[in-house]
Amino acid sequence: MVERGRLSLRNLNVYYGRNQVLKNINLDIPKNSLTVIIGPSGCGKTTLLKCFNRLLDEIEEARVEGQVIVDDQNIYDPGVEVTLIRKKMGLLSQRPQVLPMSIYDNVAFGPRLLGQKDKSYLNPLVEKYLRLAGLWEEVKNRLNEPANRLSIGQQQRLCLARGLAVEPEIILGDEPTSALDPQSSRNVEAHLLSLKTNYTIVLVTHILRQAKRLADYVAFLYLGELIEFGPASEVLVSPRDPRTRAYITGEIS
Amino acid sequence: MDTAWEKAKFKRPKRKIIDSLFRLAAFSSAVLVVVILTLILMTILIRSLPALKLSMIIRTPGTGYYLGHEGGILNAIVGSLELISGATLIAFIIALPGVIYLNTYLKKNSPFSEAVRFSLDVLWGIPSIVYGVFGFLLMLAWHLRASLLAGMVTVALVELPILSRAMDETIRMVPSEIKEAAYSLGASRWQTAIRVILRQAFPGIITAVLIALGRGLGDAASVLFTAGYTDRLTTSLFQPVATLPLAIFFQLNSPYPEVQQRAYASAAILTFLILLISLVIRFFSRKLSRHKIK
Repeated sequence: MVERGRLSLRNLNVYYGRNQVLKNINLDIPKNSLTVIIGPSGCGKTTLLKCFNRLLDEIEEARVEGQVIVDDQNIYDPGVEVTLIRKKMGLLSQRPQVLPMSIYDNVAFGPRLLGQKDKSYLNPLVEKYLRLAGLWEEVKNRLNEPANRLSIGQQQRLCLARGLAVEPEIILGDEPTSALDPQSSRNVEAHLLSLKTNYTIVLVTHILRQAKRLADYVAFLYLGELIEFGPASEVLVSPRDPRTRAYITGEIS
Repeated sequence: MDTAWEKAKFKRPKRKIIDSLFRLAAFSSAVLVVVILTLILMTILIRSLPALKLSMIIRTPGTGYYLGHEGGILNAIVGSLELISGATLIAFIIALPGVIYLNTYLKKNSPFSEAVRFSLDVLWGIPSIVYGVFGFLLMLAWHLRASLLAGMVTVALVELPILSRAMDETIRMVPSEIKEAAYSLGASRWQTAIRVILRQAFPGIITAVLIALGRGLGDAASVLFTAGYTDRLTTSLFQPVATLPLAIFFQLNSPYPEVQQRAYASAAILTFLILLISLVIRFFSRKLSRHKIK
């Protein structure tokens, strides 16, 4: 039996205008493990991820039905404070998006939103999360430089540190290595692996090998439907559904 | 063999001619722009040379100044600067929240935001004399005399659409991914606007302020009825204030050549002032925009 996690989807339907992108998804993501969502492009992976922190709210024509339950609370309930939901999750996007400020300020952005101004509190915090993201040694002497001067691989790890600094329970990754070179990708992957004991990680990827390297659990999404979900060893090795098998053997992509 | 190719080959000289003609036309118009600017600057400078003395910028008009006697236009320089800083400040304070509202709270292309943008575009196109008349009516309604305050309000109205639309365009350019990054860290719309969007759009906002400032500084029609004119320095919001465009206007109307030369000198000073403000602000904006994400 899969342990019930903090993140659950109940009868989730998402529409863009008249187009239904996610069809009746039910999913329980186990906590303190790494779940990978795979599927061909356009199958709704990113949309699914954006449901978790309600970034879908920013897409005009998007409409959500059903429940996304985080910590026993449906985050789509009216009256839910969306900024509080988002603070529970760190997000890594496809292209790292640093904020237009210094390296230090990027990491301190989240804590400062909570009203934290005290340098003696922020300094060790910034160091801690930069270390956790494996960036500290590279940037410790230039924390006040603009974040846009970092290489793209460093920027992605900065985004990781920034996301961790809001002390989330969940880390969401939307193909977080797709813009990175192989070396930086491995670096980010290694850090994700080291984080999964303390965080629930949900990763979207279209790279099967990456899924094999990282996943504890795998969800296969096809044309907006959740086809299969289970431990990586089962889904990736001996899938039950013919469509999953076809995807894994490369017949559909 | 291939007839289409043969035809094309046959047409080639004609295409070549058209191409060179077009190139010539493009080049000429580019040169023309530079020539016109140079001509204007040279004319002003040459005409103003006899009158360009230090006293022009450090003295107010003395007795008989408008008959060609001693004095300067310090009153108009200071007056213009006072007026323009107040007006731009007012316009900025009104424009900024509006523009943020358009770009973070409203959905893209919502009917209301389209209506606001359309209104601003129309306001932009209204001649400044109309603003002058409107300001004059406001003044009467508030029982004000022609004064610094009335001038500020009127020029602020002239600047408002320019400032808003120019800021709107640069804030609209901020990539939505940056906003999403801030939202995903738990920032509210307001926090995102203040801490992230404005930083990213900062150089553009500075440019917008500059454009508005330049327009306000050079506008004569809006201050004609509202700001009045004085030969003294203005020390209160309720006194009339001298402005450079009107200084040029009054002096150029004079029958005395010495005074007319001073009109050109005033024009040169006005141009120089705009140049100076541009350079200073650009210098600071470059320093402050190093965090911008390209």
